[in-house]
Amino acid sequence: MAAVLGFPLVRVVVLSFQDWGLAQIFTDRAPEFAAGRNYRRIVTDRAFWSALRRTVVLTVAMVALSMAAGVSIALLMERVPAWIRRAVTFVLVLAWAVPSFVSTQVFAWMTDQNAGVLNSLLGLGRHNWYIDSAQGLSVTTAIVVWGAVPFIAITTYAALTQVPAEIVEAARVDGATGWQVLRRITLPVIRPVLVILTALSVIWDFQVFNQIWILRNAAPAPGYQTLSIYSYVKAYQGHEYGYASAVAVVTVLLLLVVMVFYLRRIVRAGEGS
Amino acid sequence: MRRWVFGALGIAVLVIWAFPVYWMAVTAFKPGREMFAVPPRLLPANPTLANFGHVLSDGEFWRSAQNSLIVAACTVLAAMAFAFLASLALARFAFRGRRALLVALIVVQMVPHVALVIPIFLTLGPLRLTDALPGLVISYLAFALPFAIWTLRGFVAGVPRDLEEAAMVDGCTRMGAFRRVVLPLIFPGLVATSIYTLILAWNEYLLTYFLISSPEHYTLPLWLTHFITTEGTEYGPLMAGATLIATPVAVFFALVQRHLARGLTAGAVKG
Repeated sequence: MAAVLGFPLVRVVVLSFQDWGLAQIFTDRAPEFAAGRNYRRIVTDRAFWSALRRTVVLTVAMVALSMAAGVSIALLMERVPAWIRRAVTFVLVLAWAVPSFVSTQVFAWMTDQNAGVLNSLLGLGRHNWYIDSAQGLSVTTAIVVWGAVPFIAITTYAALTQVPAEIVEAARVDGATGWQVLRRITLPVIRPVLVILTALSVIWDFQVFNQIWILRNAAPAPGYQTLSIYSYVKAYQGHEYGYASAVAVVTVLLLLVVMVFYLRRIVRAGEGS
Repeated sequence: MRRWVFGALGIAVLVIWAFPVYWMAVTAFKPGREMFAVPPRLLPANPTLANFGHVLSDGEFWRSAQNSLIVAACTVLAAMAFAFLASLALARFAFRGRRALLVALIVVQMVPHVALVIPIFLTLGPLRLTDALPGLVISYLAFALPFAIWTLRGFVAGVPRDLEEAAMVDGCTRMGAFRRVVLPLIFPGLVATSIYTLILAWNEYLLTYFLISSPEHYTLPLWLTHFITTEGTEYGPLMAGATLIATPVAVFFALVQRHLARGLTAGAVKG
């Protein structure tokens, strides 16, 4: 079993040290050993560095926005009448269930230049959202946040219900304000869940693919290329499998710190229960 | 006062998260002329089923649906067979490297799929399995198995060992105890895990796009994203198709969403 799961991972590392192109696919010629050539190329590759910068900025924006919105919604759910809470839960589960390739198409339609509902709501006339990649990527961010918030909000809400009511009650009796209760009691109790959610969000948002690829009709301009997209384009269109693998390996290595952190948390949470 | 502010905010959240889904469904019921009305109408004036008719009379839609069903069904069956045995081994038997294997299960799920696409593509190539449905099943398994084993293991570990031992004391054989006591108890887990795997296989896009090139092997996600005719994007039929594809997912998802959240956050890696 470990062999089946580990095999692709090992192979991608091996590939990243080889010269692999169309010639190898069509002629069965053995790939040449490239030593560190692919990695040296990364260091001097301008497109790689700008993709890396874009990926980091996007990830930070997506994680910050989805965590802020998700936690706020969870706190809000505690404070609204039961019928609104039930309706919000229903809608969030519905939004969570929508596959990302579907939601991306829906957002593409909502931001359509000629008949998109967003232009009409904002009174923008025939604004094209995709000429400027910064605006296009903000649509991507909206799709990702829209899709990520349900999981964060519902999980945080579940954690909030674990906050002992007696302690909150006692603090109130002692004269604590709502803000103090939130900072001194609620947040410390749900902190472990928030940490795990943040780590997971970083891991997921760093590798966002569908929401950019489909939004840009499977041909994202350089201004839209994140590390995942860059590696995919190099392999799919450029047939530079060795180089694309090297980019993918670097992506994994960059995520490794967050992964190890998440793993430790998960293992510790498991031992505690 | 506070109540009203919170209530209003709650309704705002409701509207923002419901709107895209609503807009998809409403567009699907609009006739072509209304589609491009400026300003867009929030409700169709003359609701029509024409867009659904368009999709359902499209041979490519049915072929893609058939491909999706075949691939998803095979993936679920194979994944369950493997995951069931693996989760039993992981939950019930102590063996060397068990902990390492558990950790590996989580790690593999975190690796970006883009990093797995190239090795899978180049491995399936010489076997003539790229651009073929069996190749899809094999590669979906690589994605689906870790999560399936992980979730199922949680269910198996939840059945107290004492229960099994009590059945054996009362005269059941080991297999008998397993069949009469353990299996019925983990059956809900099997169902939940099958449904995740089903959704995962049904939704897979990134890898499928890379592997599949001929339209007769398209799955539904590929069909939906290639739905651009020579006259440009026809959003009516597109949204009708999106609604048809997303509806079964939403229904199944609602059934198992609780387990999903638990599997992702509470590790349950008990020693």
